[in-house]
Amino acid sequence: MSIFTIIAVVLICVGLLFFLGAAVGIMRFGDFYTRMHAAGKGDTLSSLLVLLGFGVYQLNNFQSFSESWPVLLVILKLIAISAFILLTSPTATHALMDSGWEDGIEPELKNDKPETNALEEDMPQPKQKEAQA
Amino acid sequence: MRLFALIAVFITGGLLLYGTADFPAKGDPHSPANAGVPGTGPSISQYFVTETYNDSKVPNMVTAVLADYRGYDTMFETVVIFAAGMAIFAILRVVKGGRNPGTGIHHRLDKDSSGNGDHYDIIVGTTCKLLIPVIQLFSLYVIAHGHYSPGGGFQGGVILGASFILYAMATNLKASLARFSEQRFMSLACIGILIYAGFGFLSQFLQKNFLEYGVLQKVLLTDGPEMARSHSMLGVEVGVAFTVTAIMFAIYANLSSAGDLENGKGL
Repeated sequence: MSIFTIIAVVLICVGLLFFLGAAVGIMRFGDFYTRMHAAGKGDTLSSLLVLLGFGVYQLNNFQSFSESWPVLLVILKLIAISAFILLTSPTATHALMDSGWEDGIEPELKNDKPETNALEEDMPQPKQKEAQA
Repeated sequence: MRLFALIAVFITGGLLLYGTADFPAKGDPHSPANAGVPGTGPSISQYFVTETYNDSKVPNMVTAVLADYRGYDTMFETVVIFAAGMAIFAILRVVKGGRNPGTGIHHRLDKDSSGNGDHYDIIVGTTCKLLIPVIQLFSLYVIAHGHYSPGGGFQGGVILGASFILYAMATNLKASLARFSEQRFMSLACIGILIYAGFGFLSQFLQKNFLEYGVLQKVLLTDGPEMARSHSMLGVEVGVAFTVTAIMFAIYANLSSAGDLENGKGL
């Protein structure tokens, strides 16, 4: 077993661990925002780690630049996919959270005293749920 | 009425299921489609597998079957998508003041996000600004590379239409309509069909059958009918992509604004 395979297996296993964390977080966390937090953070990092593991595993087939450029092409595509996931996944989570906030979903705060939370003052207040017209 | 519809659905579904009983088993090597009818030469599957490249120099035989051998069917599939867009247009589209305004989701979105600053615009808008050019470039690749790799007009058109929908969701409907106006997408939908049918009629003018591309070598100035077929496939794929792109965005625009295409605070 080459060094690349070992690194790839380690990366993929760590990625799967983060996937597990994200899945447990979605199931176990208290409110909408913390659940989205788990999904957004965990999914992004674990996808990146797994794809990175795939890329490292592909290095097994690499001989020289002249003959194994298809391997580099595969790695380039994996890097492109990682870049897209890195861009889109957090943005999608943000958009979902933003619309949840505007829809009036109350976050579950540990101490129910909003004035002690410095962040609260800067943020727009959630609207009360109004009946759909 | 609902009971009547249910009975009709069950009868139609039952007839379809009854019809499938007569099909040969999946992957049966002795079925007529795979083994051919005795005394008539190779079967149709064998013909496609062995002769597609010789006929049209197209490595992706799925595209060759879809756009060339079976091009008549694909043309009317495009017309089906066009008809779906026209149906949405006919049902939903209203002129200004025709219906009580503010029923589409874009009205609600704009009303809700009006007092909230531009944090949404910064994060989502920047991501879309980065991504939309890449998505559109990729969709053009999918369209243009359809006869070498998986892809083609339908898939590429959907990706291109989705990029406009993404832009409409990230900003608002008015901003996306400024770039892809109703006049433009409606005419683009018609132009797509016209391009496809035009290839068919062009072959007819050159005294061949409808959509028999080989004769187009006189027009496309290719060496040999094979390359003419290959280029004509690309041409009809572009036509399909025009229609699919336009109808995707037309359906989104009409559904999300309840047909008035008027809302959105604009940039």
